[in-house]
Amino acid sequence: MKFDDQKIRNIGISAHIDSGKTTLSERILFYTKRIHAIHDVKGKDGVGATMDSMELEKERGITIASAATYCEWKGHEINIIDTPGHVDFTIEVERSLRVLDGAILVLCSVGGVQSQSITVDHQMKRYKVPCIAFINKCDRSGANPFRVIGQLRSKLGHNAVAMQIPIGLETDLQGVVDLVAMKAMYFDGDSGENIRIEEIPEQLLAEAKAKRDELVDAASLFSDELTEAILEEKEITPELLYAAVRNGTLKRALTPVYMGSAYKNKAIQPLLDGVTYLLPTPSEVENIALDMNNNEEPVILTSDSEKPIIALAFKLEDGQYGQLTYIRVYEGTVEKGSTIINVRNGKKVKVGRVVRMHADQMEDVDHLRAGYIGALFGIECSSGDTFVSPGINMTMTSMYVPKPVISLAIVPKDNKAQMAMSKALNRFSKEDPTFKTYVDHETNETIIEGMGELHLDIYVERMKREYNAEVTTGNPRVAYRETITQRADFNYTHKKQTGGSGQFGRIAGYIEPISDAEFVFENKIFGGTIPTQYIPACEKGFKQSMAKGPKLEFPITGVKVVINDGASHAVDSSDMAFQAAARGAFKEAYLRAKPVVHEPIMKVVVETPTEFQGSVMGLLNQRRGMIIGSQDEGVMCVIESQVPLGEMFGFSTILRSSTQGKAQFTMEFALYRQVPQSIAEKIALEVAQNKKTAA
Amino acid sequence: MVGARALRQEDNVIHLTYEDMIMIKKEIIERNPLLNLGYENDYILPSGGLGAVLAHAGVGKTALLVQMALHAMMHEQPVLHVSLNDAVSKVDVWYRELFNDMASSYDVAQTGEYWEKMLNYRFIMTFRVEGFSVPKLEERLTDLMEQNIFKPYAVIIDGLKFDESGRGRLLELKELAAKYDMRIWFTVHTHRHEPPKEDGLPLSFLHVADLFDVLVQLAAKGPEVYIKALKGQSPDAKQDALLLDPATMLIKE
Repeated sequence: MKFDDQKIRNIGISAHIDSGKTTLSERILFYTKRIHAIHDVKGKDGVGATMDSMELEKERGITIASAATYCEWKGHEINIIDTPGHVDFTIEVERSLRVLDGAILVLCSVGGVQSQSITVDHQMKRYKVPCIAFINKCDRSGANPFRVIGQLRSKLGHNAVAMQIPIGLETDLQGVVDLVAMKAMYFDGDSGENIRIEEIPEQLLAEAKAKRDELVDAASLFSDELTEAILEEKEITPELLYAAVRNGTLKRALTPVYMGSAYKNKAIQPLLDGVTYLLPTPSEVENIALDMNNNEEPVILTSDSEKPIIALAFKLEDGQYGQLTYIRVYEGTVEKGSTIINVRNGKKVKVGRVVRMHADQMEDVDHLRAGYIGALFGIECSSGDTFVSPGINMTMTSMYVPKPVISLAIVPKDNKAQMAMSKALNRFSKEDPTFKTYVDHETNETIIEGMGELHLDIYVERMKREYNAEVTTGNPRVAYRETITQRADFNYTHKKQTGGSGQFGRIAGYIEPISDAEFVFENKIFGGTIPTQYIPACEKGFKQSMAKGPKLEFPITGVKVVINDGASHAVDSSDMAFQAAARGAFKEAYLRAKPVVHEPIMKVVVETPTEFQGSVMGLLNQRRGMIIGSQDEGVMCVIESQVPLGEMFGFSTILRSSTQGKAQFTMEFALYRQVPQSIAEKIALEVAQNKKTAA
Repeated sequence: MVGARALRQEDNVIHLTYEDMIMIKKEIIERNPLLNLGYENDYILPSGGLGAVLAHAGVGKTALLVQMALHAMMHEQPVLHVSLNDAVSKVDVWYRELFNDMASSYDVAQTGEYWEKMLNYRFIMTFRVEGFSVPKLEERLTDLMEQNIFKPYAVIIDGLKFDESGRGRLLELKELAAKYDMRIWFTVHTHRHEPPKEDGLPLSFLHVADLFDVLVQLAAKGPEVYIKALKGQSPDAKQDALLLDPATMLIKE
């Protein structure tokens, strides 16, 4: 029997930093009676909002790790993932979107659609997450929700349509008019918990009617019944209208827009109604797993609780009682005491405690059915692992993980810190696939890698706070790469005779640049000049050489190796000998193939008041930035540019000081591009110096 | 004259020969509709000159001007694209698509690299229609020029309304073009309900027509697009309209 999941909603709250996501989550928890008092984000009362559970988050007023939380609204069970707003943590956002069925896109009624909203929107598109929008901060001066709706249309291409209009704006914000019921809603009481429904004020009636017509018009495209009702001039019932809007929302062809002010406790309850009316149930979303027994054929999952288990671990957290693994169940029911298998390593695991999370407090449950989000205790796994019932061999599609672009050397202060540091690093790299760590064998330093300066900063801070690991950090290093620009031939013989059996191998062929792959190996040997059993050794030797360029020692990409001749010796040839020959051959050809250094180029988008436009462009230009364009938005303007990552260190401080703190920017990896000659020389010098100090 | 950013590139980059790019460049020049219409000067407009492309909505005014801009960028002449309708990203897509269309038959790695270099010769600026004014444009321009970020050789202004903006604004723009040694191209949206006069110009444009050095018209006949010179071509040039490839806005082969 299929479990009825009509009353489950798994939603995310995504938006630009500082548009009030966490405040909104806090209010939702309050109205759904999960918490009994409201706290502010920045912790004026020393408690902090419930969803920002990490101490550091409370201090900085930003959300770092997404906390999953469960609540109930009018008989519906809602799982909420609070996602971080800063671009450096987008892997968190992407991960949450992967397990969600719908989302609330929060926008600031003053700031409107900002560059971060555009990034988040792209991510929602990638995972096809239907969303409703909430225009927050309507109580702030300069609030203009309809301008934001315009931006949703023009900048994000959403077919946005208002579900409400505000009653008063800025300090005068009193409530909203519900355009479906055509009633005015006011929110009384200390925390806006008492909803008072009245007739629409006279002065707003005409506007409300016009906006309702727009709504009905937009919705009619998604419902024949509604179109019929309009043509026959029948009464349009709320059910009919909601059904049509919902239809459009699920197809991502319509974005219903709610508005209010979370901080002033206005119009959060209607937004919750919107979530239950308009966002999809788990079974309405198509989820796909890959069948490992059948050549990774995609299989559409059915959300059936009676079927064998398929669940995805999407987030790990280190709690007081060991590792807490957040999972989303796609099929079957994960029960206390049942046995599940981790598809990645085939390990059997017995499910111990099953809990539903409420930020950092938890509630024990017996099972999690298909469509549910919850957490398991005491399970060893990595983020992104799939769990299944015995006998099943399916995996959830792998999540898109960008490669790290920046690295930092860290040195523990003492032995105790060393222990704590390795514990912390182990945990972080399990939790966050974009955070990597390794030991550089030459310098013996521990290196951490990530997606940006702030990303690594936060982890260094967390090491200190959560693990008590005092570390000192080196200068951030950019992940340069090397590649070749022309074809070069090689013909290399590796010969060694040091008593006993010798080593012999000759390899000939050429290397050439390719643009669409990191490494390609092609064997064009005919007649067995190199016996077939040594070919894999040759490939291995070339591949090893790619890890570090002979000159600047950066990883090499975009090389095609073709071997077409060679020689072997009946006694002295071996795998080892051919590996060494391949390394020698690569070294010989590489320098003649005109190697160049490539650097990561970031897409940097700055939003600034127009009076600082000139100086911001100057700042970007000084950093070897190429300005793609500037967009005038009235008082604000948006400058889009491409800047080498190596030039972006400390940019936030300089940007703040030269714009009186009024500009903000986002940065994401765009592409790798060749480094200009003069800079390449500088990099070579630095590498040489580093080597010297390491020696 | 080459912009400051272009100069800096010259210092640092070793020039390689891009055989494929030479081919694309040749194709763009040979199939350039304006050169084929009998506009003699390779750069068509003199310094300080104004030019306009007239057409109904949806015929390809912007595409034609973007193609002209690509022509200039290939000659290392910086182009400032001012759009009053579209966002920066959308304008960028115009350039990418037209370039990719031409480059599709060539080596991707090479053309990709060349494209990155050409981008140095383009700057996109967008304004809201109501927020656009000549002093504002000049302020932005001087911002760029004083800091040696960008000095345009040609400017494209897409989306300016001619029936509303009077002669005064165009005079200001002409002055600006002369002051900074630039030439400015405009798109002019003509209306279907307004039949053209004998010289092909719509009535609502007549009051400013004398300010322009070059005027060309695009017209769609069924699925085909024709281009016709209305003003400024050399007297002995052929007067017929030429057929364009609607995908690239180059002369159809």
